[in-house]
Amino acid sequence: MAFLELHNLKKTFGKTEAVADFNLDVEKGELVSFLGPSGCGKTTTLRMVAGFEVPTTGRIKINGVDITDNPPNQRPVGMVFQAYALFPNMTVAGNIGFGMKIARKPAEETRRRVDEMLELIHMLGLGDRYPYQLSGGQQQRVALARALALSPQLLLLDEPLSALDAKIRVSLRSEIRAIQRKLGITAIYVTHDQEEALSLSDRVVVMNGGRMEQVGQPFEIYNYPKTEFVAQFVGTLNAVKAEVTDAASRTLRIEGQHIQAAAGLDGVRNGDRVMIAIRPERLSFTTEGVKANLLDCSIENITFLGSIVRIQVLVGSLTLHMDTFNNPFLELPKIGEKVQITFSREAVLALSQEKST
Amino acid sequence: MNRFRYWSWFWLAIGAIYFFLPLVATAEFSMRAQKGTLSLLAYQRVLEDKEFVSSFLFSLRMALLTITFGILLIVPTAYWVHLRLPRMRPLVELLTLLPFVIPVIVLVFGMIRVYSSPPFLMTTTPATTDILLVAGYMVISLPYLYRSVDVGLRAMDVRSLTEAAQSLGAGWGTILFRIILPNLRTAALTGALLTLAIVIGELTLAQYLARPAFGPYMNLLGKNRAYEPAALSIMSFALTWAAMGVVYWLTRGEQAQIGGGH
Repeated sequence: MAFLELHNLKKTFGKTEAVADFNLDVEKGELVSFLGPSGCGKTTTLRMVAGFEVPTTGRIKINGVDITDNPPNQRPVGMVFQAYALFPNMTVAGNIGFGMKIARKPAEETRRRVDEMLELIHMLGLGDRYPYQLSGGQQQRVALARALALSPQLLLLDEPLSALDAKIRVSLRSEIRAIQRKLGITAIYVTHDQEEALSLSDRVVVMNGGRMEQVGQPFEIYNYPKTEFVAQFVGTLNAVKAEVTDAASRTLRIEGQHIQAAAGLDGVRNGDRVMIAIRPERLSFTTEGVKANLLDCSIENITFLGSIVRIQVLVGSLTLHMDTFNNPFLELPKIGEKVQITFSREAVLALSQEKST
Repeated sequence: MNRFRYWSWFWLAIGAIYFFLPLVATAEFSMRAQKGTLSLLAYQRVLEDKEFVSSFLFSLRMALLTITFGILLIVPTAYWVHLRLPRMRPLVELLTLLPFVIPVIVLVFGMIRVYSSPPFLMTTTPATTDILLVAGYMVISLPYLYRSVDVGLRAMDVRSLTEAAQSLGAGWGTILFRIILPNLRTAALTGALLTLAIVIGELTLAQYLARPAFGPYMNLLGKNRAYEPAALSIMSFALTWAAMGVVYWLTRGEQAQIGGGH
C-alpha cells in the first residue's frame, strides 16, 4: 500500500475538464513533482489533495485513510503557497506557531517547536520580525517552517519558488530538498519549471490538458520521453520530420541525407513519415573515423549561454540546435562555415508515425 | 523644473485658501458672541447646554452600535464575496450604493410604516426605536463602510491567507477574527470614522423617529441661535480631525507593513 494514493481523480469546472484519469501512488518519504504548462491541471490536483477543491470523482487516501471528504483543516497536510501567504499581522514566530496554537498545544511546546523550525530554516533570532521586514526568500522559508511545524504527514508545495529571483530559487530549492530528506516527509511539488522538477524530484509527473503524460524518474523523463508532448516540454529538442527509407535497418531520410535510429520505429514501412527528436547535447561536430549519422550542414548562428554554447546549424532548409560545453579553449566555427555534425543512433527518439497510403 | 515647482505651490495655495478661508471665517464669527471683542462665549454656552452633552452622547452611542453591527455584517459578507462569490461583486456593490439613490426620508417613512403596527411593532419604546435607528444608520452608512472594507480586502491576498490558515487547522471563526479582521484594521477604522461622522450629523432618521440625537439638536440650535451653530461646526470639524489622527496613530504599524514589503 502506497503512502499517498490518488485513485481516478477527476475535476470538472462547468463543462471544462481540469483533471481526468489521474492515478498516482506516492511512497513514504518520496518527493514527486507535478510538471506541466499553465492550465494543465497540476495545481488543481494539488488543491484536491489539500482539500481546497472537491474532486468530481475519485478518492484520495493518506496512509490508508480516505480523506476525500475531509475539509482542508482536518487533513494531515502542510502547504506552502506561491504567494507565501504569511499572516501580515503576526511575527515570524507567530506565523510558525499558528498551527500549534490552533491545535491547542501547550505554550512551552509551541515555543520549543518554533525555535526548532527557526533553526531548521537558519533564521534563529529573527522570530520577532514581521513578514514585511523579510526578503522574499526568507518569507518563503518561514512559510515552509510554518507548514512543517505541525509535523504533517504530507507536504504540498504550490510553485513555491516562482516569485523569487533566479539565484535564490536555485539555493532555496536545494534547501527545500535537504529539509524534506532530513525530515523524511512525503512531498508533492507543483512547478512549471522543468529544471526545478528534474533537479528536486524522486519522480516527475508530466501533465498536459488535465491528464498525466508520463510518470518517471527525472533521468527517465528526460532521456526516454514516452510522448511527443513530454519530449517537447522537457528540455530543448530538435523535432524533425523524416521519411522511412529502409524500415528493416531503421534508416530515415532528412533533407536528402540518411540517418539511422537504434529503436522505436516498430511497425513502420518504407515511405512512412515519422516525427523524430534529437536532444541538442547529443549532436557534435564530426571527428575522424565516424561514418554513420553524418549530416552536412552550415553554421547559422552561435549563442553563448554561459556554461553552454548553443550552435544553430542549417541542414538543407532545416534548422537544428546543437549544445556544447563552454571552455576557454573551445574553437568555434564561423557563421556560414560548412561543417559535418553527427550523433549516435541511440540519440534518435521516435515520437510519432504517419503511415504512407 | 523650477517653473513647475512654482505652479505646484500656486495651486496648493489656491486649494488651501478654498478650504481654510471659510473655516477661518466661521471660527472668527463663532468668537463674536461678546460685542466688540473676540471670546469663547459661544463655545462656553454650547458646552454648558445639557442638551448638547446628552444628544452628543446619545449619537455617539448610536454610532458605536452602528459601527459594531455594521462591521459584523459587512466584513463577513465582503470577505465571502471576495472568497467564494467574486462574480457577485458587481451586484453586491450595486446593492450597497442603493442608499445614494433612495432618499433617507423614503427609508424612514418606510420603516415607520412597517414597524409602527403589528406584527413588527417597534416604535412604542425608546429601546426598540433605537434598534430601528441603528438599522437605519447601518443602511445609510453602508456605501462608505462596504467600500472601505472592500478596498482593504482587495489589498490582501484573501484566498491564499484563508487557505494557509485552513491548512494549519483553522476554522472559519478563527480565520475571520484572527487573520482577516486584524489585517483589515485600517480599512475598518476608516469605515468606522466615516460612519461616526455620518451618524453624528444625521438629521432625518433621528427627527422622524423622535430620538434625542445630535443632528436634530444642531438643527434646532441653528434655527434659534446665531453664534453657537458656528461654534458647533468648528467643534465637529476638530472632532473629525482628532478622530482621523487617532486612526493614523492606531494604523501607523500597518501602513509600514504595506509600504515596507520587499
